[in-house]
Amino acid sequence: MKQPRQLSRRTFLTAAGAAVGVPVLIPSGVLAAKDKPGANDRLTVAFIGVGGMGGHHLRDMKRFERSGEVAIAAVCDADEMRLLKAAKTAGAGVMPYRDYRYILERDDIDAVVIATPDHWHAVQTVHACESGKHVYVEKPACCTIEEGQAMIAAAKNNKRSVQVGSQGRSQHEAYLAHRYLANGAIGKVDTVTCFHYPSPADTDPVPDSDPPHALDWDLWLGPLRWRPYNARYCHGVFRWLMESGGGQIRDRGAHVMSCAMYWMNADGTAPVSVETTGTSPTKGLWDSCVNMNVTYTFKDPDWTLTWNQPGEPVPAEERGEREAKISRPGYGAVYHGDKGTFVHWGGDGGTWAERKCREWEPPAGAVEVYESPGHKEDWFNGIKTGAKTIMNIEAAVGVADLCNLGNLSYILGRKLEWDGANKRVIGDEAANRMLGRPQRHPYHL
Amino acid sequence: MSTSNLERAAVGVAAAGASAAENNTAVDELIAKIRDESDQVRADAWTNAGDVGAPAVKPLAAVMTDDALEVARAAKRAVWKIVRHSGRPGADAERTAVVDELIALLADAQPGSVRREVLWMLSEIGGDEAVDPIVPLLSNEELRENARMALERIPVQKSIEALKAGIDAAPKDFKLNIAQSLRKRGIKVPGLPCAKLTPAKQTHVKPYTPPEAKDEKE
Repeated sequence: MKQPRQLSRRTFLTAAGAAVGVPVLIPSGVLAAKDKPGANDRLTVAFIGVGGMGGHHLRDMKRFERSGEVAIAAVCDADEMRLLKAAKTAGAGVMPYRDYRYILERDDIDAVVIATPDHWHAVQTVHACESGKHVYVEKPACCTIEEGQAMIAAAKNNKRSVQVGSQGRSQHEAYLAHRYLANGAIGKVDTVTCFHYPSPADTDPVPDSDPPHALDWDLWLGPLRWRPYNARYCHGVFRWLMESGGGQIRDRGAHVMSCAMYWMNADGTAPVSVETTGTSPTKGLWDSCVNMNVTYTFKDPDWTLTWNQPGEPVPAEERGEREAKISRPGYGAVYHGDKGTFVHWGGDGGTWAERKCREWEPPAGAVEVYESPGHKEDWFNGIKTGAKTIMNIEAAVGVADLCNLGNLSYILGRKLEWDGANKRVIGDEAANRMLGRPQRHPYHL
Repeated sequence: MSTSNLERAAVGVAAAGASAAENNTAVDELIAKIRDESDQVRADAWTNAGDVGAPAVKPLAAVMTDDALEVARAAKRAVWKIVRHSGRPGADAERTAVVDELIALLADAQPGSVRREVLWMLSEIGGDEAVDPIVPLLSNEELRENARMALERIPVQKSIEALKAGIDAAPKDFKLNIAQSLRKRGIKVPGLPCAKLTPAKQTHVKPYTPPEAKDEKE
């Protein structure tokens, strides 16, 4: 029986009150435990931000819709051209919205997938949790330390399952790498060296202008302070603006360093110091580092994580005809142990582990590690069982904090001594003010 | 003068007892480089502007609205470098001098784009001394939202008091904004509910209708 998409949980419960015990197909977890859909219940999901990665998630979610695991109820974007396209992709009956808060008002929607520009991630995640929605939000989790703490609190206080889109943790070769390292195959690791090609510079700057007719520029900017529209500050290329995308470190760093924190069993820990050097573009609107070196020093246990643009890239290994090809060799990390080294490339939807790791056979009694069934599947499991997701909000904020502190050290031009327990920069009042930033009304945490 | 010379001059300016003549020389050289045709020369200049400090703020602000887009941008970035350098631990005298220069740039005679930028600079390094000069801008329709956010961020009691006073004086359509800042600073604001979850923007896009469904309707 096909259920109407607009059926609210409240309406359904009222209607179903007289029919308890009658087997019916239910669109979402309306008969499951309060706030937690049952294992066989269909989740009703909506998409906030449907360009780029949002469009990918929408298309990807269709396979779960076909299998009956989810129903897609709504799509939302500040750009009407993107919204129009997404409404068609989503299919008949799916409601399009410009303002995501209409989605949050709907009782029939269980969960949202947020794939807006980075400066929206925290605000929308907090609002969604406060509105009772489970959240899949793209990486990086947040743009400031303050935003990250608000996200953790919102998820916890509202008992919502949040999965952050550092999907590298859910890749098969990431599982092999994790198992390899957790079993000491290269001994005790004391240094992880990330490499990534530089951020681009804008070689053809343009002046500010009126926004495209289809774009709600005010809504796109959201929490950010108002500025005039500029074609170099929008879809895709927002990545190269420090206040929005934060450069490669907040893009791919949220993947590669996510792997490092997970595999080093360092989720929940923080560095004691962060020091960055970098070079800026010589012209144009983009202001994120072109080249960049960040050193994160961890204590108890002692180890060092470095982010390097470009660093010393490791050429992709040759792979056989029947092996997955390394399509993104330009970034990854080298793990240095007291018994050897290990390399991986990628770290996101493409994660490739060095051959010796892939061929490593666990001995009897080896430590086993969690193998994700898939990043979205892991999230669904979190929603239905309450289990921590593989890239839960605490872990994701920890990784985003690395990215944000790296950028902050660069912006301020000085080393930061970090008190991770209290989320404060030691002895630096100006730096502490920059751990958060005021947000425009009414687009705030 | 090469960048390294500029750096040496800047260090000299920053040193205690730097003369007005030395200051002027370093500032003039910085401005000349900010106006240079070479992208690299401009970038090196603003990147190393921090040590030139307060004396360069006003001259750079005058260049922030230059007709040459990249020159104006370089000037703005140079001021930001000075602001963030002056906010470093142990440099309170430098910070105070820079804040004084920034406050002067809030004057009505300055372009709105400069004043907006200055408000955000003060939000990072301003203290008690910055509050009173910002308060009048809560009544400036073009700048009030930035002024409100600057006061929210300056972590002194005086900024809370300014926001409290501002909410009484604010027009109806701006009271909620100030209330947001006060809540952020831990102050309860009865009678002005938070509007963050209230949807307001309608789309023109309609739900997708498959061609066959359209045919049936027709």
